[in-house]
Amino acid sequence: MPREAEPSLNERQFVLKALEENLRLDGRTFDKYRALALTFGDEYGVADVTLGRTRVLAKTSAEVTVPYADRPLDGIFTITTELSPMASPAFEINRPTETEILLSRLLEKTVRRSGAMDTESLCLVAGQKCWSVRVDVHVLSHDGNLTDAACFAVVAALRHFRKPDTSMEGGVLTVYTPAEREPVPLSWLHSPFCITWCFFGDEGQMALLDATWSEEQVRVGSCTISLNRHGEICQIAKLGGTPVEAVALLQCTNVALTKAKEFSTYLDKKLAEDAKRRDKDGLMAELSAENDR
Amino acid sequence: MATENPLVLPGDEIDPSLIPTHKTKPLRLGPGLRHVPPNQILPTLAGHLIADHRKNALYVEYNGGRYIPSPSDLVIGQVTRSAADLYYVNLTPYTPNASLPHLAFEGATKKTRPQLANGALVYARISLANRHMDPELECVSTSTGKSEGLGPLTGGMVFDISLGLARRLLMARSRDVGKVAVLELLGAEGLAFETAVGRNGKVWVNSESVKTVVVVGRALKETDEKELGVEQQKKLVQKLIKEMR
Repeated sequence: MPREAEPSLNERQFVLKALEENLRLDGRTFDKYRALALTFGDEYGVADVTLGRTRVLAKTSAEVTVPYADRPLDGIFTITTELSPMASPAFEINRPTETEILLSRLLEKTVRRSGAMDTESLCLVAGQKCWSVRVDVHVLSHDGNLTDAACFAVVAALRHFRKPDTSMEGGVLTVYTPAEREPVPLSWLHSPFCITWCFFGDEGQMALLDATWSEEQVRVGSCTISLNRHGEICQIAKLGGTPVEAVALLQCTNVALTKAKEFSTYLDKKLAEDAKRRDKDGLMAELSAENDR
Repeated sequence: MATENPLVLPGDEIDPSLIPTHKTKPLRLGPGLRHVPPNQILPTLAGHLIADHRKNALYVEYNGGRYIPSPSDLVIGQVTRSAADLYYVNLTPYTPNASLPHLAFEGATKKTRPQLANGALVYARISLANRHMDPELECVSTSTGKSEGLGPLTGGMVFDISLGLARRLLMARSRDVGKVAVLELLGAEGLAFETAVGRNGKVWVNSESVKTVVVVGRALKETDEKELGVEQQKKLVQKLIKEMR
């Protein structure tokens, strides 16, 4: 298996030296993200997120299956990640690296375990039929901070997704095509976002948001905080690395909240823009069979 | 008469008026061109066709993504490990290593040779590059025995740039022909720094002040990514200098 290319000694030393003088190689301040861009595909549930030179594509799909025997009233919701050799030659297909496992675990914890989607609404016939919603995350280009970009892509894709409308009549389940009935959005409860801090210096005294790949390679630790715009923290993952002071971590969480709010506003804006683009003659309201809650 | 330096695509026909003619020297074909016997010249790459009438040479200037070593190129390599009498040096990630003999430094003997740690950078010249062999490097001129600026690079920072920009930076008249003036302009603004450009798409920048290195790196990267012209480069330099002060 090819190993990840290591930065040279000069690069390692210089990145740290620059950080000590409060400088980043791309001229950003420590708590600034790179340019974030989100585009939706023609289909529902495709989100393409670019964060600087990192690019992640998430695609949502749904099919009718049999629910798990121990959870007859719940639908199935899975997130799968794939780091292909397209992102970096160090990744291989069917041989997950540590990065990939950590990424998919973190996404599971953030989006699935935090109850962002109401899985009970995916149930069609108790114990017999349910929707299985699946999000595939493809990393197209890897330049650091995969977690934040991937999480944003997953949330955007799920919120953009529409599943086919269904009806139950006399024990017969009918799934309508988009031509027959307008597809319906998933029942979405809250939008969590991942904010990753990277720590540098001997005691992890310098904290950076949105580290690039060259910065990630010299970090001494990192901490991913997942939270929504209301400040409800879903998880905090600090996997090994240098210990960090509790007070510093609290400060990180505060900044993370403002970032999560920014993400949330941006996503809402983009979703509204996309809805407007699709709503050609203002017919969407008529086509929808959904009840107002 | 066709335009000067036209854009060619692989398989295009080349206007005969563009091919240089010389009384004594034979015609030399550079990268991106192929001679199809008996008398046809075809481009194999997309780029600008450039004719050098003095050398009676013709080549295609393109901005390719992958570096292929060729003799007498100046490159910046990263030492990956040391063997009994040579260093293995990486020119581009995920490609086979080049070899740099321990004795290919200025004034090096078995006892006095530079000790390079793993991950150190060297500025070297490619002495041998064959298609199916690992390339060989040297940090000393074989004719004079002097280093001529080659050798280990200490301190500073390397930036990745495109191969096209690296080639343009290495041109003798990089401002007029290559259309890159950022380094000159930054120097004129009073920044003191030294650089080494590697044909393999790397620039090493060193300075007393860290800030200068960061500014030079950003200027180079932005020039490269946005394909700025000389005028735009001037604006960029002014903007960066303003931010810096």
